Amino acid sequence: MQNHTAIVTGGSRGIGRAIVDRLLADGANVVTCGRGPRPGGLPQAAVWVQADVSRSADAATLISTANTAFGRVTLLVNNAGVQVEKTVADSDDADWDLVMNVNCRGVFNMCRAALADMARHGGNIVNIGSISGMVSDPSMALYNASKAWVHGLTRSIAVDHGPLVRCNAIRPGWIMTEMAEDAFALAGDPEKARADALARHPAGRLGTPADIANLVAWLASDQSEYVTGECFTVDGGMTAASPLNPGLF
Amino acid sequence: MPLENKIALITGGRGGIGRAICARFLREGAIVYAADLSEGGSLAAHDDDGTVFVRMNVAEEAEVKAAMAGIGSDHGQLDILVNAAGIEIEKTIEDTSLEEWNRSFAVNVTGTFLTSKHALPLMRKAAGSGTSASIINFGSYDGFIADPGLAAYCATKGAVHALTRAMACDHGPEGIRVNAICPGYIDTPMLQSFFTGDGSGAGGKTIDQLQQAVRDVHPVRSYGTPEDIANLVNWLASDEARYASGQLWVLDGGLSAQVQQMRL
Repeated sequence: MQNHTAIVTGGSRGIGRAIVDRLLADGANVVTCGRGPRPGGLPQAAVWVQADVSRSADAATLISTANTAFGRVTLLVNNAGVQVEKTVADSDDADWDLVMNVNCRGVFNMCRAALADMARHGGNIVNIGSISGMVSDPSMALYNASKAWVHGLTRSIAVDHGPLVRCNAIRPGWIMTEMAEDAFALAGDPEKARADALARHPAGRLGTPADIANLVAWLASDQSEYVTGECFTVDGGMTAASPLNPGLF
Repeated sequence: MPLENKIALITGGRGGIGRAICARFLREGAIVYAADLSEGGSLAAHDDDGTVFVRMNVAEEAEVKAAMAGIGSDHGQLDILVNAAGIEIEKTIEDTSLEEWNRSFAVNVTGTFLTSKHALPLMRKAAGSGTSASIINFGSYDGFIADPGLAAYCATKGAVHALTRAMACDHGPEGIRVNAICPGYIDTPMLQSFFTGDGSGAGGKTIDQLQQAVRDVHPVRSYGTPEDIANLVNWLASDEARYASGQLWVLDGGLSAQVQQMRL
């Protein structure tokens, strides 16, 4: 990744942070962003921009900051996302605005801003979708739909802007972030909940943010130069199995 | 009646799902041939229901050819072919013998191939009469996502899915539509034997508890009936579905629409 300049949205923690660390380790110049101030512990080499990707002006600022600091943006990783845990019946207008503005409009804003240059000089976009965009998590209606939208946009960009631009998506499954740890902590029997979750993963473990960063690195590399318009699942085999209770039969 | 005077052949026609399809086709006015290994099929007894029974092993080419010759001499054409014959071996690949593997493919895949292959001349004649002829194969949601300990079955159903698209592609121009139905858990003798077979009742559960647990994991909180499948077969067989071809129709009460339901 020498001489590459990457923008990773939502790089303060979790999956985004792992992608930032990996791209830096591979030699890329990295600009990342979040809605808050620069997080402690972010490597000095990474440029931080306080930005809300749902605002097109902030998307433009991210591109111009990367251009000024390092030159042309060769890789865009759209990782920033939010989730609201509600059904359609329970979701209000503010929920819609929050989820759609970040997960959909934010990805659109960043892609459009990056494509101004990439459409002429080439580039690579990796979007973070979700297995929830394929199969539904209960009470996550707007989130599930927003991720399906990301998968659809991924194909459209690949079709419209190839061959100069490649665009792929990654669909993570259960990744052990702070969010997943909280879910276990809230369970009636956290250890039982954890064992149940593990039994549903042929890989025998839950995912780590680094598992996702590994695929981002590959999709960003020349090893994947014929790969575009695809959505790849990284979930330890969970969605390959029927959703029945483990050990029933 | 939508299937008035249409000639239909259903393989596995005396099994759980096959009987429901035969009954529905008869109500819709079709002339129905039910093919199976025995008159009772996978159920013990069989009352006369108005179908014409054809003793046929779908994996034996001579028997398939003879069945088609019989239908040809009776009616000169075949409008609807439903490939519902299927078997299930409940094992991992390590425990599956080569004989079991071959038997699974012989019935589920080769049977679909042979029956369709030898039905084509009769189905072209039906298509030539002005409406489309329809082949309906039986895939499974297991062709998309796996149930544990069901390896050969999962593989055969994936093969049926691909064969369905290939047949639709090749024979669409001749006026023959080809689709597959991919059932989830349907209350049939095959499912009951799955519940009561080796390895069932794990964790000290009774069969009733097991069945309830399976129902509970479905968004519709029940498993399907053979009649639910017959509803879709009937539509795909009818001219209402004249633009439907090459597709895999999952019918599983929403089971495969959801992410694994972890117990948190």
